[in-house]
Amino acid sequence: MTAPQPEGTEATKSPGIEYFPKSKPWRMADGALHLLGMRCPHCGAKAFPARSVCHACGRDDGMETVELVPTGTLYSFAEIHAAPKGFPTPYVIGFVDLDDGVRLLGQVEHRAAELGMDEKVQLVEGVIRTRGDGTKVVSYKFRRRSS
Amino acid sequence: MMNNAYVAGVGMTRFCKMPERSFEEIGQEAVLKALKDAGVERDAIEEVFCGSALTGRSMGQRVLRDLGMTGRPITNVENACSSGSTALREACTAIAAGRAETVLVLGIDQLTRLGGGTIPGVETDLDPNLGMVMPALYAMRARRYMQETGATRVHLAKVAVKAHEGGQLNPYAQFRNPVTVEEVLASRMVADPFSLLMCCPTGDGAAAAVVTTKKKAAALGKKLIRVAGTALQSGLYKPGFRDLTRSELTERTAKLAYEQAGIGPEDVDLAEIHDAFVIAELMYYEALGFCPPGGAPAFLESGATRINGSKPVNPSGGLLCRGHPVGATGIAQVCEAVWHLRGEAGERQVEGAKVALTHCTGGGVSGLDHGSCAINILVA
Repeated sequence: MTAPQPEGTEATKSPGIEYFPKSKPWRMADGALHLLGMRCPHCGAKAFPARSVCHACGRDDGMETVELVPTGTLYSFAEIHAAPKGFPTPYVIGFVDLDDGVRLLGQVEHRAAELGMDEKVQLVEGVIRTRGDGTKVVSYKFRRRSS
Repeated sequence: MMNNAYVAGVGMTRFCKMPERSFEEIGQEAVLKALKDAGVERDAIEEVFCGSALTGRSMGQRVLRDLGMTGRPITNVENACSSGSTALREACTAIAAGRAETVLVLGIDQLTRLGGGTIPGVETDLDPNLGMVMPALYAMRARRYMQETGATRVHLAKVAVKAHEGGQLNPYAQFRNPVTVEEVLASRMVADPFSLLMCCPTGDGAAAAVVTTKKKAAALGKKLIRVAGTALQSGLYKPGFRDLTRSELTERTAKLAYEQAGIGPEDVDLAEIHDAFVIAELMYYEALGFCPPGGAPAFLESGATRINGSKPVNPSGGLLCRGHPVGATGIAQVCEAVWHLRGEAGERQVEGAKVALTHCTGGGVSGLDHGSCAINILVA
């Protein structure tokens, strides 16, 4: 069973590019990436990706699709040197707590030696892996905030 | 109601890479050893529970067919790293329910069939698609743990050194060599801050146990070893902040297991815990109540968890050194516990052990601490 995907912007099919998740549940605005997540109108819980049942209170009516904030704090990270085919080793992944409370895992656009714990980061769009036929997989990832 | 099952016999293969053997043959070796150890004929087995995670379907039937042991109820159990431990819990339930008196539990996996590397993630889940691998999940725990407690990579390396102290005395272990802190730190990087020797190896193996009633166990003439507690929990979903330096899931499962057994962490004479990666051992010292939160690095350095220490942990070498054929691990821990409780553990014997705890937890599911955790407490 696959989770219901949020109604995002129509995935634009460019040659040699695919998006993950396929529904491309984000919007670009002012150079930042705004993920589309769930907000429960009954208890206020938020989650990503969007879904039709609230994991917190169990209600299954009226779940809203909302933009999550594009900024957050890097909780921890690891630099991966052994990975499945197509991932650009070495690469860094990290857990980021967005400023509105949702935690995301994603690739971070820096080497581990350049990063510190609790750094402020923002969401951006970028290539996360390359498939055997050369197709680039584009998703959300993190970049240090320049400010 | 769950604590009237007794382990009458155990047996396992060595854990190592065995690509030349079929998994059926590997499983059969463990089954035959357990039956022989218990002193029961195959016809005495009324039900079978088989835990495996990554090798195939209908594993119990495939292993037992050529032993002429199909025809009775066989339940195949998949619960990631806790598959074998979960199968033991189900066997205890079958006995407690009065449905069977003598039950065979098998744990098995053959990871060399997967072609090496990290265990593949599940493709519908978010994290593996974004580049998550299991070593990285634990590496992120480790980095945060080091930040908050002041632990260093040397502490992490010392966990591996201790694992190899046990493993070199264990004829069933995948690695039987001692290692130094320097060698662990210098092994190739897998997921910074983890080098290769800070991660459990991939390998193959099977372990089996015969579980029965007190009356039957007594009649078999073996030392009585009771499953005094058997607890299973699953991870709670948190789409937001989670303290990755603690294992809420293991804490919750341990509380249930201790309550069932009527004991506390101070009563545990030896523990076989899920040290899939070095940080896991430190975190689980704390989650199982062996030392206070943040106290694990000092507890390790005190020598308490070495074979001759006050709280021996993983005298077998643990997952880091004995190896981790996923579904087999929980029952291999039970084998190790039984050998110590009987005084049959040879050079790595924990003297006078009367209470043993086995702990498995794993299954990478995005948003959960882990998929599951299973803890069994065996009392002689």
